[in-house]
Amino acid sequence: MPAETPVIEMRHVDKHYGALHVLQDINLSVDKGEVVVLIGPSGSGKSTLCRTINRLETIDSGEILIEGEPLPQEGKELAKMRAEIGMVFQSFNLFAHKTILDNVTLGPREVLKTPKDVAEQEAMRLLARVGVEAQAHKVPAQLSGGQQQRVAIARSLAMHPKAMLFDEPTSALDPEMINEVLEVMVELAREGMTMVVVTHEMNFARRVSNRVIFMADGQIVEEGTPDEFFDHPKSLRAKDFLDSIRGH
Amino acid sequence: MSAHTTSMRDALYEAPGPKTRRRTLIITAISLALVAIGIGVIIRQFYITGQLDAKYWSFFLRPSTWRYIAGGFVGTLRVAAVAGALALVLGILLMLARTSGIKPLSFAAHVITDFFRGVPSLLLIYFFYLALPQYGLRIPAFWMITTPVALAASGVLAEVFRAGVNAVPKGQAEAALSIGLTPHKTMMKIVLPQALRIVVPSLISQLVVVVKDTTVAYVVSYPDLMQNARVLITNTDALVQVYFVVAILYILVNYAINQLSIYMARRSGNPIISRTTENPT
Amino acid sequence: MGYSELFATYGEKYLQAIFETLSMTAVCFAIAMVLSVLITVMRVSPIKPLRIVGDLYVQVFRNIPGVALLIIVAYALPYLKIMLPWKACVEVAVVLLASAFGSENFMTGINAIGVGQIEAARSIGLTFTQTMTKIVIPQALRSAVLPMTNLLIATMLTTALGSQVPLNPQELTGLVSFITTRETAIGILPFTVSAVAYAGFSVLLGLAGNAIDKRVRVIR
Repeated sequence: MPAETPVIEMRHVDKHYGALHVLQDINLSVDKGEVVVLIGPSGSGKSTLCRTINRLETIDSGEILIEGEPLPQEGKELAKMRAEIGMVFQSFNLFAHKTILDNVTLGPREVLKTPKDVAEQEAMRLLARVGVEAQAHKVPAQLSGGQQQRVAIARSLAMHPKAMLFDEPTSALDPEMINEVLEVMVELAREGMTMVVVTHEMNFARRVSNRVIFMADGQIVEEGTPDEFFDHPKSLRAKDFLDSIRGH
Repeated sequence: MSAHTTSMRDALYEAPGPKTRRRTLIITAISLALVAIGIGVIIRQFYITGQLDAKYWSFFLRPSTWRYIAGGFVGTLRVAAVAGALALVLGILLMLARTSGIKPLSFAAHVITDFFRGVPSLLLIYFFYLALPQYGLRIPAFWMITTPVALAASGVLAEVFRAGVNAVPKGQAEAALSIGLTPHKTMMKIVLPQALRIVVPSLISQLVVVVKDTTVAYVVSYPDLMQNARVLITNTDALVQVYFVVAILYILVNYAINQLSIYMARRSGNPIISRTTENPT
Repeated sequence: MGYSELFATYGEKYLQAIFETLSMTAVCFAIAMVLSVLITVMRVSPIKPLRIVGDLYVQVFRNIPGVALLIIVAYALPYLKIMLPWKACVEVAVVLLASAFGSENFMTGINAIGVGQIEAARSIGLTFTQTMTKIVIPQALRSAVLPMTNLLIATMLTTALGSQVPLNPQELTGLVSFITTRETAIGILPFTVSAVAYAGFSVLLGLAGNAIDKRVRVIR
């Protein structure tokens, strides 16, 4: 099979916060249909890495390519690129003044210029798919965290993204709601969505991902298949990290 | 109110790309030029009207001028301090009456609170200055200014205190009642002390309103900063300059009080409850 | 003198005064709102000099006592060859004060939105303008309803500054001082009329603001 252009590629990416070197020479490529999970202790830079991919965080040096094209730095081109990459946040970030339905249709209508009725039909279909169609006419504050996060996923899907970024999507959820969100993500992965997932859910990483990337102190310390990583971690840092989460 | 006004304003604009950075730089340069021109126009206006002449400014070099201004400032502080203290007591009483659960008392307190919040302090001052003397009530100038300022503030403070009481977790009162304290004791020993701590930043910020209201003291000829400024003007003819300096003094004092209340709010984590944030009815 | 006599003699003046107070309030508040928006745009812009000017404007006019500002506008500006009619002096002072607080209200409204929603708007591909018009401004406006209602009431109370300069016709506070100075045995009657008018309008405006807020409030 000929090598396809990776959907996301990072080359020698560096970023500092003042004196803190939060991303150090990051090289990473994510192929079409691949599910890559980023794990690591807090402060390791995994969230920052995820957020640089659609330029919610800027980088100091290096390159980020989306389907071989450099990530635009500003303006309409950047907005267009962002529309093609879905993003799901830890704190859902639904638009508080809009109904669930309007949250999902806003992007298609404003960015893709989809006619209202088409956008709404599709939004209802997506809401049904993530199981919150009954809440379509409520506002975000009336929904549980799990429901809000599923709406946020539907909002991203409505843009027909090439890839989706998940920045700790279950970290702000009560334990009983984590699974309902993970199930939607598992489903997406099965359908072949290209995904970059920052998470602490090791079972998800093991079951669903094609590759696990372990980060610490702004560096990619280790990467491999989930079985390799979880059963035979190579680095001491990774072993310590896995011990610490298994200890609990 | 402005305890955290810096983070979001930066979030509205994302980190600029090269084109945006260039455009920002150009607009910055243009606006800088406009600001400079604006300042230039103001200074020129002062200059061509002769207001920059040394004779209008030199008396600020004399210690006696500043002694006189300081005297007025002390007068302002005296009125503000006494009015503030009075308003504190009145505000607590109004709040206690309103939350007492005794219908007529709470209704009366509600009406009085809304009245003092809904009437200009100037009107209250004229009441003490013009109306009361008609009944043969002659009160000293100090109280003619201090009482209305205190009354105007008490209405707002009553609402601030009420918000403070509401902010004390319900469990506190329930726990106090469950160990056998009477409702009265629960309020005085458990709820009120905690409420007072919660409203400290709000009380400090309310002091700004009191200081502002004291400026009307010249109506009753009480020697506060504003009144002394007027006397200074009749002696020096430097009206523009004296009012200019006095206005800056007021602004600095109120700015300092505001910053203190913001600092206290940040340190304690208690929000600043002000007229603008509370429910209008 | 009783109420009937007071109204027989000064009834018309009271009606005029109520009209003056309310119309000054409306005019000043409308202009102040426009100014607040401009000042707020300056304060959130990435242009440093504009930010500084906006911040300075707010700090100056939220901290200067109204009376001091009026006196400067009415009595100091003429020395600088800036001469305004008395009523305009009052209105300028009220507008400057109200716009500073108005901008603070908008800033608070913007702050309440939170960075997250703006990042979410960006990541679905909204441009800066779309993010502002679809997400930021609608929410800032909705959450400003209650504070702006309070500001409207405060603006009405601030028009009492009109009593410090010779206005014709007078507003509600100036009229009280006028009547009480002329009728030396009139007692508290003129005060109660004006006070009830102020307090009544305050309550009415407050109720209206509450009703609007209930309909548009953003639940968080």
